[in-house]
Order: sequence, then C-alpha cells, then structure tokens
Amino acid sequence: MATDLRISNISKIYPGCIANDNVSLQFKSGKIYALLGENGAGKSTLVKILSGVISPDNGEVYLNEKNLKLSSPLDAKKNKIGMVFQHFNLFETLSVFENLSIDATEDNKSLRIKINEILKKYNFSIDLDVPVLNLSAGQKQKVEIIRCLLRSPKVLIMDEPTSVLTEQETEELFISLKKFCDEGILIIYITHKLKEVLSLCDEVAVMRKGKVISVSQTQNEKVETLANKMVGQKLAKIKKKINISKIKDEIFKVKHLNFHSDDPFETNLINLNFSVKKGECLGIAGISGNGQNELFQILSGEIITPDTSIIFRNKEIAKLNPKQRREYLMAFSPEDRISQAAVPELKIYENVALNNFKSSNFFEKGLVNERKIKEHSKKILSDFSVNTENVELKSQFLSGGNLQKLILGRELITAPELLICYNPTWGLDVGAINYIHETLIKINDQEKSTILISTDTEELLKLSDRIAVIYKGKLSKIMPSEEVTPEKLGVLMGGGSID
Amino acid sequence: MEVPLIKIEKRNDAPMALYFFTPFIAIILTILGGGIIFYILGFNPIEALKFYFITPISNLYGFSELLLKATPLCLIAIGLSFCFKSNNWNIGAEGQLTFGAIIGGGVALLFYNQDGFYILPLVILAGAIGGMIFALIPAILKTYFNTNEILVSLMLVYVSKLLLDYLVVGPWSNPEGFNFPETRQFSDSSRMPLLFEGLRIHAGIFLALAAVMLSWFILYKTYLGFQIKVSGLSLKTAKYAGFKGKTMILVVFMISGACAGIAGVGEITGPIGQLHRMISPDYGFTAIIVAFLGRLNPFGIIFASLVVALTYLGAETAQIFLQIPKYTGQVFQGMILFFLLASDYLLFFKVKILNLKKNELRH
Repeated sequence: MATDLRISNISKIYPGCIANDNVSLQFKSGKIYALLGENGAGKSTLVKILSGVISPDNGEVYLNEKNLKLSSPLDAKKNKIGMVFQHFNLFETLSVFENLSIDATEDNKSLRIKINEILKKYNFSIDLDVPVLNLSAGQKQKVEIIRCLLRSPKVLIMDEPTSVLTEQETEELFISLKKFCDEGILIIYITHKLKEVLSLCDEVAVMRKGKVISVSQTQNEKVETLANKMVGQKLAKIKKKINISKIKDEIFKVKHLNFHSDDPFETNLINLNFSVKKGECLGIAGISGNGQNELFQILSGEIITPDTSIIFRNKEIAKLNPKQRREYLMAFSPEDRISQAAVPELKIYENVALNNFKSSNFFEKGLVNERKIKEHSKKILSDFSVNTENVELKSQFLSGGNLQKLILGRELITAPELLICYNPTWGLDVGAINYIHETLIKINDQEKSTILISTDTEELLKLSDRIAVIYKGKLSKIMPSEEVTPEKLGVLMGGGSID
Repeated sequence: MEVPLIKIEKRNDAPMALYFFTPFIAIILTILGGGIIFYILGFNPIEALKFYFITPISNLYGFSELLLKATPLCLIAIGLSFCFKSNNWNIGAEGQLTFGAIIGGGVALLFYNQDGFYILPLVILAGAIGGMIFALIPAILKTYFNTNEILVSLMLVYVSKLLLDYLVVGPWSNPEGFNFPETRQFSDSSRMPLLFEGLRIHAGIFLALAAVMLSWFILYKTYLGFQIKVSGLSLKTAKYAGFKGKTMILVVFMISGACAGIAGVGEITGPIGQLHRMISPDYGFTAIIVAFLGRLNPFGIIFASLVVALTYLGAETAQIFLQIPKYTGQVFQGMILFFLLASDYLLFFKVKILNLKKNELRH
C-alpha cells in the first residue's frame, strides 16, 4: 500500500529563534527524499516533531490523510514512523539480540526467527550474540535499522546517517536504503552533504533559517545549485572593507598540524598549514563536525599535539597551555559559552577572573584580589554594554547575547594581538549578532588579528579577509574573500572541489 | 490496564536555599528511621533514641568524648573537602590516617625514653608527611598513568592496615609486652596535652579548628581555592582557563593526606598512647559522610562532625544499656548518607508518574 506523508504549516518557535516557520512538505512512498540544510536550518526540529520528541506550536502531520497526534515517541512508533538518530541509542554491554528484544513485542524465539529473516533478506552480516560495543559504527547503525524494520515501518527517517561511517559502509547503507524504498517504505534522508543527495535521493527539499526554500527533483540539480540554495545568496549589509595591503607581517603561523583521535565522534586533522597577517581576519568555514572543535582546542592550547609548530609573534608557542598563550596576548572565545567559556554557577566577577592575565593583578601572591576583579568586571560590563551592572550576579541569569558580550569583553580587555573565536554568534538574536560583528570588525581596524571559525557562511563572508574551508579534517586552499562566493563555499563545505 | 511509568526530570528551579537545609532533613529522617528500627527490634523507640542521642552527652565526660571523636572526623573531612570540591574522589583517608600514624608513631617510638618539647611537633609533622606521601600514590598514578583514584586509594587502605599489623606484631612490638600485638607506650613528651584533668579531650581539637580556619581561607581567598572551585564545577572550563590540572590534583591529595595523617597521629598520641592494631574505628571512611553532610563547607563540617561523632557514642551507650551491638552506629551513619543523597536527589530532580495503557508500553 502506498504511503503518503504530509506536513502542513508546521511552526515551532523557541525563545529568540524561529526553528520552523510554516513548513509544508509532501512525501510519497517509492521515493527517497532528502532534507537538506545547514546546521540550525531547522531540519532537526522538523524531524523531532515527526518522531514525537517535541510538539509543534502550530500545524499538522497527516499520514495517509489521517491526522496524527504525535505527543511522544511512542505515538510515532505506533503510527509506524521509524527513526535512526545520528547518535545510537544502544546498550553497549548488552548483546545485539538483547538490545533488539528490549522493546520487541514477540517472544524471544519468534523474534530471533524474524531478525534472521531480515538479516538474510538485506544481506546484513551481524552476529546477534556479541555485545554491541564490539561492533563497528556501521554495524551499530544496522542494529538500529533492524530495530525499525522489526516494526514494519511505513516511514523511515535517517538523521545524518553517514557522519560516522566509512566510505564503504556508506555505500552499503545506500544499497539497503534503495531496497527499502523499492519495498514501499518512504525514506526521508536528512543531511548537509550535497554529493549524497545527488547520488541517493529522488527529490530534495532545502531548508534555510526555518523555512523550506525549494523542493525539486535531484536530476535537475547540481552541487552548485544545491549549495546556492542551502547557503543563500543574501549578501551582508555591513561588509567590512577588505585589507588592501597584502604585504603585512605574518603574526601567526601554523605548520604541520596533525591530530589523531581514537574517539569515533572526534575528527582527525590532517596536515593543516596556515598563517594570519597583522590586522587580518582569517575565516575557517565548514559544516560542524569536520574538525573545528579539535582545531580550536589545539589553537587555544587545550590539546597539545606533538610535531606541530605554532609561531606567534616570532615565538614558538606550540607547547604552551592556554594561560601561557594568553600571556603572549592571544585570546579565545570557544563555541560552548555555557559550560566552557563561562561557568553558569559562578558570579560574573568570578567568570571574569578566569582570564587571569599577568598584568591584571587579580591574584597577588596567590591571594584573591576581589576588589580589583570587581572593578575590572564593572569596566567590562559598561564597555561591552552588558545588560547589568551587578558583578555579583550569577552568570546563569544572563541571556545568551549578554553572556557572549561578557566573554568577548573579558577576552578583549587585555588588548590581544590575536583573537580566536568559534561560532561567536550561534543562538543569538539579531541585535546581539550585530553588536558582536561590529566588535570583531573593530578589532581588525585596530590592526589586531582574528581567526573566525564558523559554520555560518554569511558571517564568514561578512567578516573575513581570507577564507578556507575545513572538510573531514583537511583544510582547503586559502582564498581572498572577494574571490569567494556562497556557491563556492557550499561546494567546498559539501566535500566537492572547485576549478 | 493502566501501568504507572515513572519519569525523572531535572528541575530547572531547584531552590538553592534548601540545599543547605537538606542535611537537617536527612538528620531528622535518620532519627525517625532509627526509631522504627528500634521499634522492630522490640524496644520503646523514644527511650532507645534517648539512650542513643541524649544520654551520651548528658554529662561533662560524655561531652568531652563527643569532642574527642569529632576531632579526627572534622580534620579528615576538611582535607577530603579539598579533593571532593575539585572532582577528585579520594576515599582512602583511612589508609592515609593509618600510614600517618605509622610514620608519626615510628618517630614517637624513637623517642620513647626521652623528654623534650620538640618531640610532639616532630611526631605530628612526621604524621602529616606520612599521610601526604600515602595520598600522593593515587594522585601520581591518576595524573601520570590515568588510573582511577577511587580504586587505588581504597585498595591502599588495606595495604597500610596490613603494614601496621606486621609492625606491631613483628619489628615494633613491645619487647616487654608478652607478645601482645602492640608497641611500647610513647613517652609523655610525645603525647597530646590533655585540656582538663580527668577528661580525655586533648589539644588535637585546636589542630582541627586551625584546619577549619585555614581551609576556609584557602578555599575562598586564594588562587588555589578559585582553581579548585572552577575545576569542581566544570573541568572543561578549567582546561580552557589553562589551570595546571596535574599540579592541582597532586596538591589537593597532599592536603587531604596531611589532614588524615594528623588525625591518625592525634589518635595515637591522644587517647591511645601507643600503636596497636585498632587505632581507628573507620574514621577515614566515616569522614566521607561528614564531608558531604557538611556540604564541603568548613563550618558545615564542624557541625556534621559533631552529629556523626554522636552516632559513635550513641552506639556505645546502646550496647551497654540495650545490649545491642555497637555496630548500630554504622547503621545510623549509613542512614544519614542515604537520606542525604535521597533528599539531594529529590531537590534536583522531580519524579513524574505517567499513566499508560499497558499495550502502549509495548509499542
């Protein structure tokens, strides 16, 4: 029987951001649909609504013209909507069979028969009696898929399924998905990888900033056209004037940056080499999870990698920790402002004291100089227009924008020669974003340098003098930003190549 | 058929004022729980609780005993609070106490037939260094070899206890002691001065009070204290701020070990006066409860050490008057920890009961 899934006028509003803005889409079985968009485009919100994890503020979901009330994941399961998340929901120490039997309705004997049928039918080779922790990422994903198949789903949603898979595992997955599709299961494939969309899917819906931008047949699309739609062509209103002089001194130079991790959710970095000139903003674009986290931590000194050379103002700093790097006038603004850049349970002035640079005298002879720290904090609050004067306030009571202003203020009050920031404006409202963009431009105007690692292409085009793209831990060549277009960025971010 | 399904959610609005109040709730619940246990055992619960909590401190001698037992608990818990506040789980204070007592006792035995004002300070210093060295073992293994400090510090407890056993039976046993497993008596110069004639309370209590003051100063007024606080709240932030994580782990373990070592010396140079097999009724373990009951706050720990010391005394009184084993003390200590953890849990999480149709569970 054909399946018809229709989403009608779905909206979901979070404080300060519209995650889904009047989204309407229609899916029919027999085809594989791609839902494409950058991080924060609203894909995940839509998927969470379809799987009953969150409820929409407005709008309806119809399955075969029946209005579905999806108020919990149980409802989605009951209506035969299956979902495979990016991070697996498996008990590592239990066997494959035990994992599958947890929420199965059959007794163990008939369940085993049923699983074996599925294994045979789709040519999966998985030993049912080994603990899940011994499986590869691809095999774990198969277990999740089997779990969905056991319920004979009408709809199967795959959320970024290839992010932890090898090339070969990806190919195997695509073959299985095509088989499911031929059997009449409706497949919705969520991704930001353009090539996968083109090779696997029949139809593609592109989302940007909570809205559906376009729905089209993939055969009519190319990497460039999709990238274009995904990233958006809207150019920034305030664009900084590009640094004209190209013969300025290099202030920061990274050579042979390699990083290898055993954690499958971390990205290895492969031979990164780049430099930053005085007064310049180097933008590093990329879809999140391509090595930005690791790169930031290596640049800040939280991770020390052997054999890497980092020269800052003619000194080798690769072996120094973050505090020592600050002494050389570097400053850092990490992506995670709530649990890394600041501690919510600490008061504002205590969070300011985290940047304890040498001339601050925050701690004299090992003792806390509370008066000094508070004075300094008051200056930051007023200079960076944070919406409070109370330095005793716990940081958890600051809004995201005010917290980010506080953090930037704390980092910038030392007048650093180089600021490294990672997604400085994620989750902020337009006003705060503007303020932070202006601040970052001002730094460059004062002949200080910045490295801006960001997943927001608009922001990068607005602020950077030169841009490189990081993809799977490798850095593209560095391009002057006047030569960069959103399409080019999109292609590189999706793993394609230009010229 | 309706089946209740229990769902646990984090509270976003946990009232922080209650955080300092829950220890009192835990104590009240422990007393109620104790009453129920006494009732089941066939005693009049009111009377039994009176024997347990009031009789022991109804005279001056009892009160001195309370302070005597609270002293080591307080000292050790103060040391532990440095570790626990910075996310280092040293649970081997009992071992550090024992090793401190061995080293301190060893020095006291060197001077067994001598007098001099310098002997006691030497003994205390030796005890502190002993505890420190013993605490450094799990700390170094943690920082340089990534071992789990909980396991290492716990296992070292048994190492130190067996070493003490060996010493008091073998090389250090009293040559005139008829082969009893104990050493010579220490000379008067290595004994803690008594505060009052006829009572056992000794000068060690001043060491505990000094530790309270000093720890308050370090935790709230110094850069080290700031680093401990930040590391305890967010290790990610500590790393980002560039704190020297390894050095800090070593320092907090050393502080903790030194406090436990001094507590051990306080016991052997105070009420005991020699080394033998049973120098501590598990003060090192009980102090973990004290540290948490006192909310890792120096002044909270004073209060908590008095409460927990009372469970030791109550158990002894109950053994005499009610003929029940003194190990009921551990039952009470266990209940305090249990109720404290339970009330903290309910403070930070709320329990929701959802009613579901039975078949919904399966789909």
